[in-house]
Amino acid sequence: MTKRIRSKISRGSGELAILSLLAEEPLYGFEIARQIGERTGGALKFTLASLYPLLYEMEKRGWVEGRWQANQAGRDRRYYRLTPRGRKQLAPLKEEWRAFFQALNSLAGVSHA
Amino acid sequence: MPDAKMPDPKNPDWTKLVRERMGALGLPRDIQENVVNELAAHLQETYEAARSERIKEEEAVELALQEVNDWNVLATKIQRAKSEEEIMNHRTKSLWLPALASILAASVAMTLLQFAGVRPRLVWTGPMAMSFYWPWLAILPLCGALGAWLSRRDQGTVRSRLIAGLAPVLWLLFLAFLAEPLEIATSGLSHLRYFGYGVANWVAIPGFALLVGAIPFLWERNIPAAQPQR
Repeated sequence: MTKRIRSKISRGSGELAILSLLAEEPLYGFEIARQIGERTGGALKFTLASLYPLLYEMEKRGWVEGRWQANQAGRDRRYYRLTPRGRKQLAPLKEEWRAFFQALNSLAGVSHA
Repeated sequence: MPDAKMPDPKNPDWTKLVRERMGALGLPRDIQENVVNELAAHLQETYEAARSERIKEEEAVELALQEVNDWNVLATKIQRAKSEEEIMNHRTKSLWLPALASILAASVAMTLLQFAGVRPRLVWTGPMAMSFYWPWLAILPLCGALGAWLSRRDQGTVRSRLIAGLAPVLWLLFLAFLAEPLEIATSGLSHLRYFGYGVANWVAIPGFALLVGAIPFLWERNIPAAQPQR
């Protein structure tokens, strides 16, 4: 697999993971990375270096919106929430991945479940 | 001997570290500060999460630093992500739209007052009169506040908030400067005196009223620095 394809897959999965999480509730960067790691059992792992360029790209496309907010302890964090455009993006993205895994499954017996 | 470039393990200054390692991103100052503070906050959280698991301070710093392999690559990726398009979006939301809202509010207020038959009060100072539109001047602080508030809401810099708040008079000043050469050409240099009165009447005094409304929204920082857990 070329580096470019691998990078596209990892980017696409990252987008889906972030959109899915933010569809539940607004989160800040560190919490996004923590929850993705925890909920995928460490299979997907975001570092600062991989997370923020992706978040900023998604923000530029209008899928998510970041805003500084203080939490109850008075600590400022930049919370990201899903925009209506991001919400629209989520269903087709899920469908693409479903089709991708089905194709792999029929070819090599690789199942995503 | 400790590495001079490593942060102090007991009290790491992540904002300083990120600023130094990322260098200048060639982005507007407020966007760059936003990025620096957000990344610094992430490093601070990583450090604190490690410390909460009883990991030693030095190792916690190391763990946080492992979040980024190559700061130059990260800086390039962020630069690319925060391209011109977003900078323009940010400028539109934090400056142009708030300025337009403030101009629109001041114009609508003036139109409604004129429609209601409210006339300015003239105060003669020698051969010329200063006109005071008291009800309009009383409404202007709200227009200034609207512009500055909208700009602050969209994370505008103090300068953007000030410009948005004062936009109605800055626009008038721009028009006055545009028309003045023509007036001088037709009426001579003596017109400069009228220009001075006009500026006082329609820029300085309304500008002060707008500023009064904008001031409360100028000072609060919207781009916070990374803070240790309280």
